[in-house]
Amino acid sequence: MVFTSLNFLLFFPILALLFYLTPLKWRWASLLAASFFFYINIKPVYALLLVGVISSTYLFTRLIDKSRTEYKKSLFMVINIILVLLPLFFFKYFTVTNNAIIQLMESRNLHWPLPEIKYMLPIGISFYTFMAIGYTIDVYNEELEADRNIGIVALFISFFPLILSGPIERAKNMIPQFREFHPINYENVAAGLKMMLWGYFMKLVVADRIGIYVDVVYGNILNHNGSSLLIASILYPFQVYADLGGYSLIAIGVSKVMGLNVMQNFKRPFFATSMAEFWRRWHISLITWLTDYVYTPLSFSLRKLGIWGIVLALMMTFMIAGIWHNAAMTFVLWGLMQGAFLSFEALTYKKRNAFEKKNNLNSNPLYLAFCMIITFILFASSQIFGRAITIKDSWMVFNKIFTDIDGAPYLDLTTLSYSMVGILILFLKDFKDEFYPGKFSFFQNQKLWIRYCSYLTFLFIIILFGVVGGNDFIYFQF
Amino acid sequence: MEKTDVVTRLTIVFKNVFDNEALVLKDDLTANDVDNWDSLTHMILISDIEKEFEVKFKLKELNKMRNVGDMVDLLLQKK
Repeated sequence: MVFTSLNFLLFFPILALLFYLTPLKWRWASLLAASFFFYINIKPVYALLLVGVISSTYLFTRLIDKSRTEYKKSLFMVINIILVLLPLFFFKYFTVTNNAIIQLMESRNLHWPLPEIKYMLPIGISFYTFMAIGYTIDVYNEELEADRNIGIVALFISFFPLILSGPIERAKNMIPQFREFHPINYENVAAGLKMMLWGYFMKLVVADRIGIYVDVVYGNILNHNGSSLLIASILYPFQVYADLGGYSLIAIGVSKVMGLNVMQNFKRPFFATSMAEFWRRWHISLITWLTDYVYTPLSFSLRKLGIWGIVLALMMTFMIAGIWHNAAMTFVLWGLMQGAFLSFEALTYKKRNAFEKKNNLNSNPLYLAFCMIITFILFASSQIFGRAITIKDSWMVFNKIFTDIDGAPYLDLTTLSYSMVGILILFLKDFKDEFYPGKFSFFQNQKLWIRYCSYLTFLFIIILFGVVGGNDFIYFQF
Repeated sequence: MEKTDVVTRLTIVFKNVFDNEALVLKDDLTANDVDNWDSLTHMILISDIEKEFEVKFKLKELNKMRNVGDMVDLLLQKK
């Protein structure tokens, strides 16, 4: 059951009603039941994996808590991390590793094919695995106690709004909320529904419309010229933003309707003036997770190397982020590019800072706009590796953009004009929130009629211009 | 070692890492209050503090550190 399905639109109001009819003390149980119902609806057998991850995490976090020695604590932490990572590694990397081994053996004239297993990646496996690992490390770091109630741990790991694509929440934020629910609050319900409405607009009207153009062009790179590829490559970051950003907003909104506060996942990323700032605004829950559980331990162990230790840790972290997206050379390069951008910024920070201060550039709108455009171009070029299937295809896209730009682009006028209007509305909303927070509000306007007209307008826009039966959410594949 | 000694030596390290001569350390100062104190400069700061005070931190200790006051307390414990 996904957010854009009719099933979900029926499921959610019934669930919200049942949730609020359940006594406060048992709400965690009703949410847990709903979460499993939601997940089982996708593919029942994969719920067993989820149960395995929950049981292992519960058991080992309790053991970490009870252990007296540091050695035992770290041993239990490592065992659980390995155990919960096994299914993720198996489903994500078995086929690619198997193929690599077969190729290597055949290159040595050894024919000993291993059986080819092609399982569908259990949806959401990365996200709940990351949450389980985060919880385990937090318990080890004594940031919170291992919960004694397996139901609460199960709810944290399987909480249905977040399980398919995040935001990748932290136990420190969610578990205290699951332990103390509050009576129904109109403000929360209204705020949640508004977020959901905007999330659906981002996904159905903006992301899926852009997706039509991008899919056509990237689906046949060989036969499209540089102009079309340039347009598709500029549109693609907006598609991912509206797709994952929209999904996240629906997830946050659904939680909010039930009075639960989930972390923000995107913060107007295209207004970032550097790549470092961009990564503090884009897919925030993944990046903070990687920072805390991958980058920090790595950079800590490499700190003796000074700035080069930081560079190495950055490169390795983004390589891991890339390989997590997909075990392919395209994503290795994608990761290396992010690491290289951030390392370059870290190495030149002092000089840039002095130059900006000397010329008073930090408050110069033209300079800031220039930095935003450069940041966008850097990110969009890295996303070419994220969108093209192979390295060869990625180079072809770059090559055509630089050498084959004279021809007329492929123009699907309806798709392009709807996409442009969608992006413009999204941009104006983000621009207002970035530079004029609290002003020109529609959904939050003091006047009731403006608020309701705005809700209805966007509802109609979604119904009239939303792409029905469009793409799945992009991050379901990860 | 006295707390004032720790703060004086720590201030020199902070000023150098963040390239800010006007920086004044207070117990409740956090990364949010200092320009460019992010996850990249943080580890350089930690490494420079270890060199200045000739101590070794554990990762677990760093994870628990919430502000400059926690850092000063930890250094006082270690010296």
